Amino acid sequence: MNATCPECDAEITLPAGTVEGEILTCPDCAAELEVISLDPPELALAPQVGEDWGE
Amino acid sequence: MIDPVALLTHMLDIPSVSTQEAHLARFLVAQMSRLGFESFVDDAGNAVGIAGSGPDIVLLGHIDTVAGHVPVRVEGGRLYGRGAVDAKGPFAAFICAAARLAGSKALPGRLVLIGAVEEEAASSKGAKYAVTRYNPVACVIGEPSGWDRLTLGYKGRLLVDGIWKQPAAHSAGREPSAAERAVACWNAIVDHCTAYNDGRARLFDQLLPSLRAIRSWSDGLTEQAEWTVGVRLPPAISPDTLATTITGLAHGGMLQFHDLCPAYQAEKNTPLVRAFLKGIRVAGGHPGFVLKTGTSDMNVVGPVWQCPILAYGPGDSNLDHTPDEHVVIEEFLRAIDVLAIALRSLEEQDAGGGGARA
Repeated sequence: MNATCPECDAEITLPAGTVEGEILTCPDCAAELEVISLDPPELALAPQVGEDWGE
Repeated sequence: MIDPVALLTHMLDIPSVSTQEAHLARFLVAQMSRLGFESFVDDAGNAVGIAGSGPDIVLLGHIDTVAGHVPVRVEGGRLYGRGAVDAKGPFAAFICAAARLAGSKALPGRLVLIGAVEEEAASSKGAKYAVTRYNPVACVIGEPSGWDRLTLGYKGRLLVDGIWKQPAAHSAGREPSAAERAVACWNAIVDHCTAYNDGRARLFDQLLPSLRAIRSWSDGLTEQAEWTVGVRLPPAISPDTLATTITGLAHGGMLQFHDLCPAYQAEKNTPLVRAFLKGIRVAGGHPGFVLKTGTSDMNVVGPVWQCPILAYGPGDSNLDHTPDEHVVIEEFLRAIDVLAIALRSLEEQDAGGGGARA
């Protein structure tokens, strides 16, 4: 099962057992990617890590 | 059915400053009993509600607040009150989401809702008790992340009380005064932190010192200075390590360290995080992750339970402890939707089969 990196257009083979919401790293550009769909396979840039005050 | 806004309003109407949570705990136990949960006040004073069967999934909120009365009211779609975001709103959302799942027979396991006491006090009494009583496969901490964000980490904390005492001397003398030595120690701590932070852009990775209180006086024979300093810690620096460093900067003072709490950062590639990412997307949001400069009960239970963990709840944490504390009602309701979707999704991912420990 293949999907395209939204950052660099690399074709990425999703490992067996991949699940929705899993976070992968693009082997070409190292972008963190979230599997947002398996049927059809679709990747999006993973949520960014921000910072906040509080608690 | 439970009315979420009515529940939260009632919770806000019951004052529950740290160590004075008993009235609110009894109210919550009664509410959760009405929903069919096994409910009780535990030996620490926590309000506990349990629903379902299977592996434990702990929803750990806190029901105490800092002091300061914020009149409870609704204005412009906002519900005001002390604790609206920190953290009665998130715990009310836990109860409502759990009730929704229980009503539809879609509980992902044995949901253990804990309204902990004394999170705002450095004692963390409620969480320290709970951490010995459960061994969950997943844990959600109830703190305000915003309905479309997930909190993955909290900085650590170290508090220092310093005392400088010496025989009184003329202010024109050559020896530094007790007050000057106290300030010199503080300045040395700031310099150490500034040097450490050089090149570290994220607040989460920095040492953040704060001078909490300072005073000095003399009775004519002895002069004395005292201060309290707090330092927020990154994951790379343990409280013990920093305490050793600060001891070397004491300028003759007697330093006492307390509330040593290491930072904690959760793994983001877990079934629990995936379930919440899905929940936020299904609810129409674009999820984000966040790291906090403060501490929470995640710092207490995370290192012990070693299970997938995150903090989630409606509200803007910038309103924590402020006179303007409020939660937007629409956001509060949407967070309940996200929680319900996420917890149901966790069931589909087989939290009970060990998957949640991935």
